[in-house]
Amino acid sequence: MSASQPDHYATLGVLRDATQEEIKRAYLEAAQRLHPDKNVAAGETELFLGIQQAYEILSNPKRRAQYDATLPPEAPIDNKFIRHEVYFSRPSLVQVKEDQLLYILLEIEPSAKQSGSLPAPPLNLCLVLDRSTSMQGDKMDILKATAVQLMRALRPQDVLSIVAFSDRAEVVVPASINLDRRKQENSIQMMHPSGGTEIYQGLEAGMREIRRTLDPSRVNHIILLTDGETYGDEQDCLLLAEEAARQNVGITGMGIGSEWNDIFLDALAGRTGGSSVYITEPRDIEKFLVDKFKSLTSTYADEVLLEFKEQERVRLNFAFRLQPEGGQIETNSPLHLGPILRDAPLHILLELVVTPGALEEGDVLLLDGNLKASVVSQPLPVPPIRVRLKREVFLEPKAEPPPTRVLKALSRLTLYRMQERAQSAASQGRYDEAAKHLQNLATHLLSQGETGVAKTAMLEAQNLENRRAWSASGSKDIKYKTRALLLGSGKEKTS
Amino acid sequence: MIICSNCKHANMTGALFCAECGAQLIGRDTLTTQSIATENLKTASRRTTGEMSQPVEGDNAWANLHLLDTGQVLPLSSRNEFTMGRISEGQPIMPDIDLSPYQAYAAGVSRLHAVIRRTGVTVVFMDLGSANGTFINGNRLTPNTEETLKHGDILALGKMRIQVLIDKK
Repeated sequence: MSASQPDHYATLGVLRDATQEEIKRAYLEAAQRLHPDKNVAAGETELFLGIQQAYEILSNPKRRAQYDATLPPEAPIDNKFIRHEVYFSRPSLVQVKEDQLLYILLEIEPSAKQSGSLPAPPLNLCLVLDRSTSMQGDKMDILKATAVQLMRALRPQDVLSIVAFSDRAEVVVPASINLDRRKQENSIQMMHPSGGTEIYQGLEAGMREIRRTLDPSRVNHIILLTDGETYGDEQDCLLLAEEAARQNVGITGMGIGSEWNDIFLDALAGRTGGSSVYITEPRDIEKFLVDKFKSLTSTYADEVLLEFKEQERVRLNFAFRLQPEGGQIETNSPLHLGPILRDAPLHILLELVVTPGALEEGDVLLLDGNLKASVVSQPLPVPPIRVRLKREVFLEPKAEPPPTRVLKALSRLTLYRMQERAQSAASQGRYDEAAKHLQNLATHLLSQGETGVAKTAMLEAQNLENRRAWSASGSKDIKYKTRALLLGSGKEKTS
Repeated sequence: MIICSNCKHANMTGALFCAECGAQLIGRDTLTTQSIATENLKTASRRTTGEMSQPVEGDNAWANLHLLDTGQVLPLSSRNEFTMGRISEGQPIMPDIDLSPYQAYAAGVSRLHAVIRRTGVTVVFMDLGSANGTFINGNRLTPNTEETLKHGDILALGKMRIQVLIDKK
C-alpha cells in the first residue's frame, strides 16, 4: 500500500475486525454529521467523500477482502484524542477453588495535545421543568429566576429550550438559535404551577425540542428537574432515555426536596451515562443548574461507551463512575461510562468476579472490548480503543499492596455501598439489619473525619430502630452525601 | 477466602474491604508518612518459633527499628528525631513514622505514641503520654521522661514489639 492511500478503517473509526453491522453503523453516524446538506464547514465535504469511499469498499465483503490484502499488518493505533490508564487492585490472580474479586480502575482523559486547543463546544440544552402544584412558592420563583439567568448567559452559538410539564407538557421556550430573548423571558415568568407530575410527558416534549437542533458537534443534553414521583410511566421514560442515549443526548436528573424517586431518576440518567443530583433546599437550585451548565460547556467527549464481550467465567459484578459525576453504571454491555470533561477526566471502578473455571489455562482474559468516545467538535469519528485486560495466575498470592488510588477510591466506594445495603435492607423490612449497616457506616465516616454525614447516619439508624422508617429526607441525605465523598477522592487523585 | 478480623465475615479472595462491616482487609494505610526512604526498607524473613533471624539493616542509618511482629526493618536516617504513631484521617499532628501498615491499631498504638531521638552518640526514647503505654524490655516508662536505649533493647508500643538496632559505625 502506498503511503497516500487512506486507511478506510481509521476514516470510519472502526477496528479492523469490525462486523458489517458495525461498519454500517459507523458510516451512518459519520454521514449524519458530515452530510453536505447540512451546510457543514469548509473542507468537510471532502471528509464526507472519504467516508463515502471507505464505506463503499468496506461494506462489500469481496472488495473489503481485496483491500485488506493490501494493508500492512495492524500497528497499535495511537489514539490522538483520548488516552486511558488501567490500574489493577492486584498484579495477579491466585489459584483458588472459589470465586475471587479483582478491581480495575479505569482513568480516561483527553490526550494532552487535544484538550487545550479545542474551542468550547456549543450547547443544545433543554430544561424540562416540573410545574406541578407542589412546585408552588420558592421553588418555582427561584427556578424562573435561574432560567432567565441561564438565558442571558448563553453564548450566541448555544441553544436553550425550556419545557414545563405537569400531567401534560408545553414548550415554554422553543429550540432555536435566534430568539427574541425578552419575549422568552416573559414566557418563563408566565409559568404557573398546577397539576400532577408525569415525567414522560415532559421528557418526550424535551426530546422533541432537542431533536430540532440535534447536532453531533453540539453537546446535546436534557436537564430534568422535578420534586415529585411520577406515576405509572417509569418504564416509558426509561425507554425514551435509551433512545436518547442512541442519539447521543445526555440526561441529568435533579430532584428537589424529599418526595421524588431517586432510584428512578438515577436509572433514567444512567441510561445515558448521566446521574441524578439531589437538591435539598430550593435556594440551591440556582447553584446546581449553573454548575451543570458550566460543566456542560467544558465537555470534551459527551459519552464514552465500553463495549465488551460478556463472559461466563469472569463476571462484571459492579461498575461505578467516581468522577466527574458519581453514579452506578448498569453492567450490561455497552457500559455507558459518561462524559469526559476537559478539567475532570473520567474515572471508573469495575469489580470483577473471577470464577475458578477461568483459571484453567494460563492467563485470564478479564475484559475484552473497546472504548468508544464521541468527542465533541471533532467531525470525524474517533477510532475505538481496544481494551484487552489480562492477568496471570499464580499459586501463591503476591504480597504487593494495591495501588493507592485504587485503595482510596475503594475505601470511599465501600461507604457508598454500605449505604446501599442499608437502603435495600430497609426497603425489604429488615430494619434492624439496616440500622446496623448505618451504625457501621457512621463508625467509618467518623474515622475518616466526616462528622456531618456520620451524624446523619447515626440519626437515621435510630429512626429505623425506633420508628421503623427513614426520616423524610434521611435516605436521600445519606445516599447523596456518601456519593459526594467519592468526588472528593477523585479530585485528590488528579492533582 | 479472607475472614474479616473485625466482624468475622467471610469475604471473597481479592476483596480489599469487608463487604459486611466495611473494615479494610489488608494491612496498609493509604496515608503512609514518607519521611523514610522506602527503597531501603528490606523485609527480613521470619523463621518459625521464636528463633530470630538477623535482619538486614538499612545503609547510612543511625538506628534501625526491627518490627518483631511483621519482620520489617525501618532504617532511621536523615534526621535526628522521629515521632512514632499511627495516622488516621483528620489528625492535626502526624507522626514521622506511621505504624498503621503494621497493624498498629490492633496492637494499641496511639496516634502520637513515642519519640526516638539521637543525642550525640546515645539514642534516647520517650513515651508521649500514650494510652496503652510504652515498655523497654518489659518495664513501663513514665510518660514524657527520656530513657537511654542500648543495642538490642525490645520496645513495646502497646502490644507492638520493636527491637532497636543501633548502628555502631
